[in-house]
Amino acid sequence: MKRTVMVAALAAATALCTPAMAQERGGTLKFARYDGSRLIDPIYADRNPDIWMVGSLFDTLLRTGADGSSVVAGLAESYSVSEDGLSVSLTLRDGVKFANGSDLTSADVVFSLDRARNPDLSPWAGLLGSIKSVAADGNTVTISLNNPDPTLLSMLATFNTGIVSKAAFDGAEGATDQEKSAAIFASASAGVGSGPFFMCDFEQGASMKFCANDNYWRMGSDGKALPYLESVDFEIIPDDATRILKLQAGEVDVAEFIPFSRVSELEADQSINMNLYPSTRIIYSPINTRDTRADGTPNPLADPKVRQAINYATNKEALIGLVLQGAGKPMTSPLMAAATPMSTGETPLYSYDMAKAQELIKEAGVEPGTEITLTTLAGSADDSTIFAALQQMWSPLGLKVNVEQVDGATRGAKNRSGEFDIHTYGWVNDVNDPSQVVGWLGYHPTRKAVGTGWNNDEFNGLFEAAAVELDPAKRAEQFAKMQDIYAEAAPLLFMYETPFAVAVSKSVEGYVQTPLGNNIFDEASVNR
Amino acid sequence: MATLQYILKRLTLMIPTFLLVMVIIFLLVRFLPGDPALAIAGDRASDADLAAIRDRLGLNEPTWVQFWLFLTNTVQGDLGTSILMRTEVLDVVLQRLPTTAFLTVYAVGLSVLIAGPMAFVAALNRGRWPDTVIRTVFQVGLSMPVFYIGLVLLTFLAAQLRWFPVGGYGEGFVSHLYHLFLPAFTVALYTSAIILRNLRSAIIEVLDAEYVQFARAKGLPNRMILGRHVLRNALISTVTLLGLSIGNLMSGTLVTETVFAVPGLGRLMLEAIFARDYPLIQGLTLTFAVLVSLVFLLTDLFQSSLDPRMRLS
Repeated sequence: MKRTVMVAALAAATALCTPAMAQERGGTLKFARYDGSRLIDPIYADRNPDIWMVGSLFDTLLRTGADGSSVVAGLAESYSVSEDGLSVSLTLRDGVKFANGSDLTSADVVFSLDRARNPDLSPWAGLLGSIKSVAADGNTVTISLNNPDPTLLSMLATFNTGIVSKAAFDGAEGATDQEKSAAIFASASAGVGSGPFFMCDFEQGASMKFCANDNYWRMGSDGKALPYLESVDFEIIPDDATRILKLQAGEVDVAEFIPFSRVSELEADQSINMNLYPSTRIIYSPINTRDTRADGTPNPLADPKVRQAINYATNKEALIGLVLQGAGKPMTSPLMAAATPMSTGETPLYSYDMAKAQELIKEAGVEPGTEITLTTLAGSADDSTIFAALQQMWSPLGLKVNVEQVDGATRGAKNRSGEFDIHTYGWVNDVNDPSQVVGWLGYHPTRKAVGTGWNNDEFNGLFEAAAVELDPAKRAEQFAKMQDIYAEAAPLLFMYETPFAVAVSKSVEGYVQTPLGNNIFDEASVNR
Repeated sequence: MATLQYILKRLTLMIPTFLLVMVIIFLLVRFLPGDPALAIAGDRASDADLAAIRDRLGLNEPTWVQFWLFLTNTVQGDLGTSILMRTEVLDVVLQRLPTTAFLTVYAVGLSVLIAGPMAFVAALNRGRWPDTVIRTVFQVGLSMPVFYIGLVLLTFLAAQLRWFPVGGYGEGFVSHLYHLFLPAFTVALYTSAIILRNLRSAIIEVLDAEYVQFARAKGLPNRMILGRHVLRNALISTVTLLGLSIGNLMSGTLVTETVFAVPGLGRLMLEAIFARDYPLIQGLTLTFAVLVSLVFLLTDLFQSSLDPRMRLS
């Protein structure tokens, strides 16, 4: 009894002290990753393990606000858009330096943006397709546009417009821009970016180290420059169980991509905060909508009624329970996660309704015993569960579901060639605007509406109109209409949204993963 | 001189083996659906982008042209550039090779240290309780999958008792020994079980041999009988087995290195396959082929030194 009282008193005293205590500074955060970075460069980053780290090394002109959708000042302390929407001018913050101490100038900004919008270099150039030219005058950068672009400001807060040092590229070895970029990356140079950290050590496929940029311009809560940490050590541990053990043994402070089946166990661990960060990740399954399958046989899924029927027959809540142990929610918009700007729909799409599903399948005249193949990822426990569940859920419709297990590269090839009926898939937004995900899932010219072959003229027209619509209200209307059309046509099996499950030691504060997946260490600290 | 000639002859005979390995792996990776262009550009890339990347990588060339390039470059010591790592395959392989070699030698060493004494104890107590206990315990090691034993050891010895680190490689020799103990031990449990079974029955067989009974009758001290006559003769078949299991161990590193987060060749191979990194897969396969062939050669040399009847020819 006495001991409890003392502990309580101690806890109270500690609680009283905390606000007065200075912000913890210094130290190393140890981070266990599921996969390694290959090249962290704003324009060459094309896999999530690369993209999600760009922001730590490279600053952008604008930043996404704390609310997740507004844009706020970044390297540019102010910006203005001309009335006709055809030009944006930005004023750079005074005295910003790269991590090696050299000045960041408007010439670097012009160099970086020209690089980012060059389709010969960047796979992301399409996101900046509206830019006609970028010019600098002293501290001011002016971007001229071919057409008004409602997404431009968001793009200036996106990883692919991160500012790189022109001098670093001029001085790097290599014949092409990509070779130079790879050489700079391999040499772990401090002179290429102005983000809160610079990469100070790198071993391909094994480990990586970020060191604090002493010249970073943003201020912490203690009035001194960010970041609080001295460094971040990354170690690649592909095995889920080992990553968790590493955290439990105290060898790392953060373990990402915790399987949902382990979440409740880690929630019970006193020394760990089991965080479920809201994300824009959606798990869905493209359905082949072509009249015939790749082998020439008729495709029962070409009929929208059949696609609607399997959507109604899928009990999403049950799936979420089975696969995610409840840590997820059914999709409410057919084209994007609810956290995406301009998403519509408050209630789950195609709520479980077996009577309606059976009626639709009857109307479509599907023969009982019709076979459908679900292509899943070999070795994925989630996909095996999904298959087993769908096989049962769809059997009252008279559908016989077969499974085909492949690896990721094979699945990608099948999606492209149309050699599938339905396959599992996932998506996380890279930009803070619905245009990217909507273009991917529904706009036929992008990639045949995520490989489904679905092609709707009205939808495509709306998408093109929204790409140049500056009036936010009208644009939201266009996206709302697209979501209605898409939900009705059901080229996907709409499944669920999942959070990012990251287990963090209690000694760590201030680390976040954004809805886009970006790992943010700017205001992280460790208290050992 | 005879030994040198023998080695040269064996090395020459390896060339067709390597050629065959190259042909098989070259065709095998190209039969896999999905290609490096897709792995580079991702699912979102347009078909035109993919075509451009294939062109840049030379994947649009006829297959025999690609193979000829692979062959001629390999002969000149150039294994090409890894698509995944964007660096020379040879550099990546040489950088990771010491880790895997360390782990393999460590595991073999532990296997011998565990299996050797245990086999003697079991054989000398044939049919009595120490024999039964040893054989039962090692049977368990043999019947459980390596990744499972690994996870169990990690959970208890590393995460809970914290005697060992959960993963990694460490820096410096002593640190390597410490970091790689659990993975080496896990693998050694399996290998030593195989060696133990073999060595035990070999010892028993030799103990019953007439020359051992003669040595006993001659009044030689027990230590001398066991060391000079029994061990030496029992080792012959065990050495062959050890050589074979080193080949096994190398393919086993794909699992062990992943579970124990060891950045070696096995884990690299797994990454390379998933990324359809043709040059890296080819380079790694060839590396494994060379290593295994060398181990077999060493095994044969060692064996002939143990047993003069096995002439080098």
